Amino acid sequence: MSNILQSDLFGKVRATVLYATLLLVTFLICFPLLWSLSTSLKPTTEIFATPPTLVPEEYSLEQYKSLIQGKDMYFVPGTKYRPKTSPPQHFLAWFANSTIVTFGSTVISVVISTLAAYSLTRFRYWGRRFIPYFSLLGYMLPSIIFVFPLFLVMVELGLTNNLWSLVLGYVSITLPFCMWLMWAFFRGIPVELEEAALIDGASRLRVFIEIVLPMAMPGIIAAAIFSMIVSWNDYLFARIFINSIQQLPLTVGVMHFFEGVHVNWGLMMASAVMMTLPLAALFMVIQRHLVAGFGAGAVKG
Amino acid sequence: MPRGHSYSGLSDRQVGILFIVPFLVTAVVFIAYPVAQAVLMAFYSINPLRPGDATFVGLDNFYYLFDDSLFWDSFIQATVWTLSSIALQTVLGVALALLLHVPLRGISVFRGLLLFPYIVPTVVIALIWRWMFNPEIGIVNHSLMSSGLIEENVYWLSTPTIAMASTVMLNVWKYTPFVIICVLAKLQTIPLELYDAAKVDGAGVWQRFRDITLPQLKEVLVVVVIFRTIWTFNKFEEIYLLTKGGPGTSTFNLAIYSFEQSIANLRMGVGAATAVIMMGVLLVGSILYLRVFRFAEEES
Repeated sequence: MSNILQSDLFGKVRATVLYATLLLVTFLICFPLLWSLSTSLKPTTEIFATPPTLVPEEYSLEQYKSLIQGKDMYFVPGTKYRPKTSPPQHFLAWFANSTIVTFGSTVISVVISTLAAYSLTRFRYWGRRFIPYFSLLGYMLPSIIFVFPLFLVMVELGLTNNLWSLVLGYVSITLPFCMWLMWAFFRGIPVELEEAALIDGASRLRVFIEIVLPMAMPGIIAAAIFSMIVSWNDYLFARIFINSIQQLPLTVGVMHFFEGVHVNWGLMMASAVMMTLPLAALFMVIQRHLVAGFGAGAVKG
Repeated sequence: MPRGHSYSGLSDRQVGILFIVPFLVTAVVFIAYPVAQAVLMAFYSINPLRPGDATFVGLDNFYYLFDDSLFWDSFIQATVWTLSSIALQTVLGVALALLLHVPLRGISVFRGLLLFPYIVPTVVIALIWRWMFNPEIGIVNHSLMSSGLIEENVYWLSTPTIAMASTVMLNVWKYTPFVIICVLAKLQTIPLELYDAAKVDGAGVWQRFRDITLPQLKEVLVVVVIFRTIWTFNKFEEIYLLTKGGPGTSTFNLAIYSFEQSIANLRMGVGAATAVIMMGVLLVGSILYLRVFRFAEEES
C-alpha cells in the first residue's frame, strides 16, 4: 500500500517537473513569435516605450492599417511617389504574388512528380532505377549554383520580371524531392488492384485517376506541403529574377522596408505576422501528417 | 485488350512512358541545363551585366579563389557555422524529442508549438531577430540589462564573433524542429518491451537511454546529421538576411561569397567556380550518405 502511494507521489512530482520544463522550453522557443505579434498589435508610441510592455496595454490595428493602405508619410501631396521610401502600399500585391507563385509551382511540381513516380514504379524501361537517386542529388545542389544560369534561361525564354520565372524556378528546387517522396510512396502501394482493373478492361488513365490517385493522397499532401513551404519562403530566386516592385513576392518586398534611414519596426512586425499566418493555418491542419508521414519519409528516404 | 486503345491509339506502355516525359523535360531544362551552365561558367570570365561576351579563361577562376584569402576565410567560417549549428541542433533536438515523447496529457499541443519554427519563413525570423536583438531598443538587451547580466548594450549583429553566434542561434531555432520530427518518428517505433525488460533488470534512466534509446536512434541520427550538414553548409538566406555577411566579412560563408562575387564584384565566373567547389563538397557528402544508407540496409 505505501509503495503504491509513494509511486503515486513520485509520479505527480515527475509530471510537475516535466510540465514545468515543457512550459519553459515552449515559452523560450515561441517567444520571438509572441513578441512580434505583441509588437504588431501596439500603437507606435507603445512600441518604443521603456520598459517595454510584454502584453500591449492598448491594442491597435494601426500597424496593419498602414501596411495595407500605405502611410501618409510615403506620399507627398501633388508630387510623384518617392521610390526610396519603401512603399508599403504594395503589400497586398506582394501577398497576391506570393500566393499565386506558391500555388502555381506546387500544382506543377506535384502533378509532374506524381505522374513520373507512377511511371517509374509501374513500367519497365531503361533508367527507371537511377532516375530517383539522380533526382535526390538534384535536391542536394545548393540553389546558389542554379540561380544565375537559371536566370539566363529565363532571359532566353523571355520570362524575366514575370511571375512565371518564379513558378518555374520553384519547380526546379521542389521537383527533385517531390519526385523522391512520391516514388517512395508508390513503391508502397500494392499493384494488384490496378492489375485487376486493367484486366477488366479499364484504361490506364482511368485506373490512374480512379484507383491510384485516391490511394496516393497522403503522399501527394506531403509533397504539396513541402513544395508550398519552400516556395512561400524563398528569397534568393525572387531577388535575382524580379526587378519591378509590383511583381515582387512578400519575402523580397518586405526586406525593402529596411532600405530607408528610419526603420519602422511596427510595420515590419505586422508584415512578419501576415507572412506567417498562411503557413500557420496550413500547419494546424497538417501537424499530425508532419510527424507521421513527412518525418518518416525524410528519414527513410 | 484494354479499351483505352481504341480512341487514344497508344499502347499501355506508351502511356506509361508519356507519364515521365514532363518530368524529364522539366529536369533537363530547369535543373540539368543550368547546372551544366554553372559548371561551364566556372571556366569563363563573365560580367553579369553583359552575359553575351564571355571569354574562356581556363582554371583562372579557381586560381583566383585559391589566392583569395576571403575565400578561405569564408570556407572556414562556413565550417564553423555548420559544425556549431549541427552540434547544437542535434543535442537539443534529441533532448526535446525525448521530452515530447513522454505520454502526458496535452503533449500534442506542446509538440505542435515546438515544431512550429520549422515552417516560419526565414525572412520573418530575420525580421524578428533584428528587432529583438536591436542594441538600443531590442527586448533582449533590455531584459539582460534589467536582470543585471550585462552592464552595457551588446551589439549582437555588429560585433564579429557575436554576429556569428547570432546567425548560429537563428539557424538552431529554425531547424532543431527538423531533428525533433525525425527523432520523434523513430522513438515511436522502439518497442516498449525493451524498456520493460531493462526495468526488470534494474537499469536506471540514464542506463536505459544509453543502452536502448541511443543505439536505436543511431541510424536516424547519422542520416539527419548528414542531411542537415549538407543543407546548412549551403545556406544563403539565413545569414544574408540577418547580417548580409557582416560586420565586414565576418559571417561570410561560401554561398554569400559566391553571391557577392557574382553580383557586387561582377565576377560571375568566380561565383560559379565557388559554387562548383561547393557542389564537390556536396557530392562527397551525398556519396557518404548513400554509403551509410546502404550500410544500414545491409545491417537490418
